[in-house]
Amino acid sequence: MEEQAHSAISHSDIVVDLSGVCKTFHQKQRSERIRDIFSNLVRPQVRQVDALKDVTLQIHRGEVVAYAGPNGAGKSTTIKILSSLLTPDSGTVRVLGMDPKLERIRYVNRIGVVFGQRTELWWDQPVAATFEWKRVVWNIPRDRFEKSLEFVKEVLGLHDYFNSLARELSLGQRMRADMGLALLHEPEILFLDEPTIGVDVLAKRNMLDFVKELNRTRGVTIVLTSHDMSELEQLAGRMIMVDRGSIAFDGDFATLRRQFTDRRHLYLETDASTAPVLSSAELVRSDGNRHEFTFDAGVIGISEILEQVSAQTQVIDVETHRVSIDDVIADLYKQWNH
Amino acid sequence: MKNSSLTAVDAQFKHNLDLMNFEPLNKFNHLLRLWRVQGYLDLMWMTQDWKLFLTYYASDLFLNIAAVTGVLFLAERFDGIGVWTKPQVTFMLGYAMLVRGIMETLFGYNIFSISRRLGRGQLDHTLVQPHPVWMALLTEGFMPFSGSASIIPGLLLLLWSGTVLALDPTISWLFLALLNVAASATILLSFSFIWGSLAFWAPRATEEISSSASGLLRTLMPFPLDGLSFAMLSGLMTFLPVGFLAWYPARALLGLESDAWSELLTPTVAAIFSIIAVWIFKQGLKAYGRTGSQRYLSFGHRR
Repeated sequence: MEEQAHSAISHSDIVVDLSGVCKTFHQKQRSERIRDIFSNLVRPQVRQVDALKDVTLQIHRGEVVAYAGPNGAGKSTTIKILSSLLTPDSGTVRVLGMDPKLERIRYVNRIGVVFGQRTELWWDQPVAATFEWKRVVWNIPRDRFEKSLEFVKEVLGLHDYFNSLARELSLGQRMRADMGLALLHEPEILFLDEPTIGVDVLAKRNMLDFVKELNRTRGVTIVLTSHDMSELEQLAGRMIMVDRGSIAFDGDFATLRRQFTDRRHLYLETDASTAPVLSSAELVRSDGNRHEFTFDAGVIGISEILEQVSAQTQVIDVETHRVSIDDVIADLYKQWNH
Repeated sequence: MKNSSLTAVDAQFKHNLDLMNFEPLNKFNHLLRLWRVQGYLDLMWMTQDWKLFLTYYASDLFLNIAAVTGVLFLAERFDGIGVWTKPQVTFMLGYAMLVRGIMETLFGYNIFSISRRLGRGQLDHTLVQPHPVWMALLTEGFMPFSGSASIIPGLLLLLWSGTVLALDPTISWLFLALLNVAASATILLSFSFIWGSLAFWAPRATEEISSSASGLLRTLMPFPLDGLSFAMLSGLMTFLPVGFLAWYPARALLGLESDAWSELLTPTVAAIFSIIAVWIFKQGLKAYGRTGSQRYLSFGHRR
């Protein structure tokens, strides 16, 4: 056992290594016509859905990676493959030097998984009872368990409701308890699949702070999916975007903004109610002497715009804002759909 | 970004591997610990308040007694059923109650009704636990306090009928009786798993198939099958193995069967059924690995 342990230890800095991973699902198609009832039953048409197409990516130890994409892009399929719940059709998956499906028992002992709105808590039991259940199932030594428990209770603020029944908790409290539960066995990688779905703003912020803290102090590698881009931007140093099963972008958020568009809003207050006419900037609305434009900073600079404005009217006040990351992503999804 | 040293990583990995040292003895100890923690959860649930405790027990008891009362009344009215005397019928009913009680004690939380777990996508919770799937299925439904309502009445019926019948149980007879009870429970569980595994391939359509299939067996199990035609009896001893859940093993244990090996027939059938159930379930697990769950419902999971 001792020998096995040492030979199995991965000294590589790469903890997640996906190479050429493909996954296809089949969906039965049914027509709505009565005359097709028999053929729908006997020989239904089958549509092939390529959930993942030749996905290759590597994640290093200690990284926080946001994994995003529109609905049906392949995010959950990837997380399920990484959590040992699904087998790819082709390609190789190595996480912590192991094949998640073939070495499931050893593997799941080293990872933590949290699926949004799929609680691991025993519904009619106090939170504390589920934590005790986890200690036994994961065979965590008592002293290590006590230490981990103290840590998650403190950082996630579980003290107040640790002895309350799971069914009586709010969604935010339940998600925090689930997160604490996933960390009791000190996993090296944490997979979070939409962990903040349905959670209110404050609870969301607390959870995000906790994830940051966990990564900073314990070096836990974190892969999370979410539809909330500003949340991902706050948290992750790296963004991987999937579209229809393929990786469409892999880099940091600044690069993402630059690569696709560096769209900004410009608010001008002038001495005239007529908006100035600007090349490479689009008028959004005018409200009295206040005019709102959008422009791509990669195409035209702010000084150039101001020169154009000054030539037409007198500027009283200027304000510019970057569009939110959500807007950038929405534009991106729109582009992909076209 | 690289804020954990290699030594710390090695140490943690080694620690984690040590945790999962699944030698046979460790496996057995782990099983015992799992049963213990499930027993603890069940006790915690039952003792939430007195009203729950009493009403739950009472309603379970009524249900289980109602399941055998019809046959008991028939035996009382006609002073036995066919070749069976009243005490012999009572012995069979006690046996049937004990088998039901064992199933409800060991395989609660929809383990017995496995198609619900599969059909609702709840197997994912089992697959992220660091032990074999069979170990989780064997232990996660253990409800010694809330599930055992029919064990005691079943034992009382067996005791009463045994006394009236002047049974003189030897150690080997007791062993065979226990073996037969375990075998009947295994057949019931296997039957539920054989049908329930269909939920791997058709999760929505077959979500309730385990409870329907086993419900059929549980309804029929307290009836003596003597006097049925050969064709009907063959069906009830093979495809729909009602006969092995109480009738045949009770006959064998009461010495109503002339064959010397009759006490071993039910365990043999149990072995065949469990092999079929394991094989189908494994095929289903492979299919699940390819397709995963397309739906998820939290209903009935850990509640």
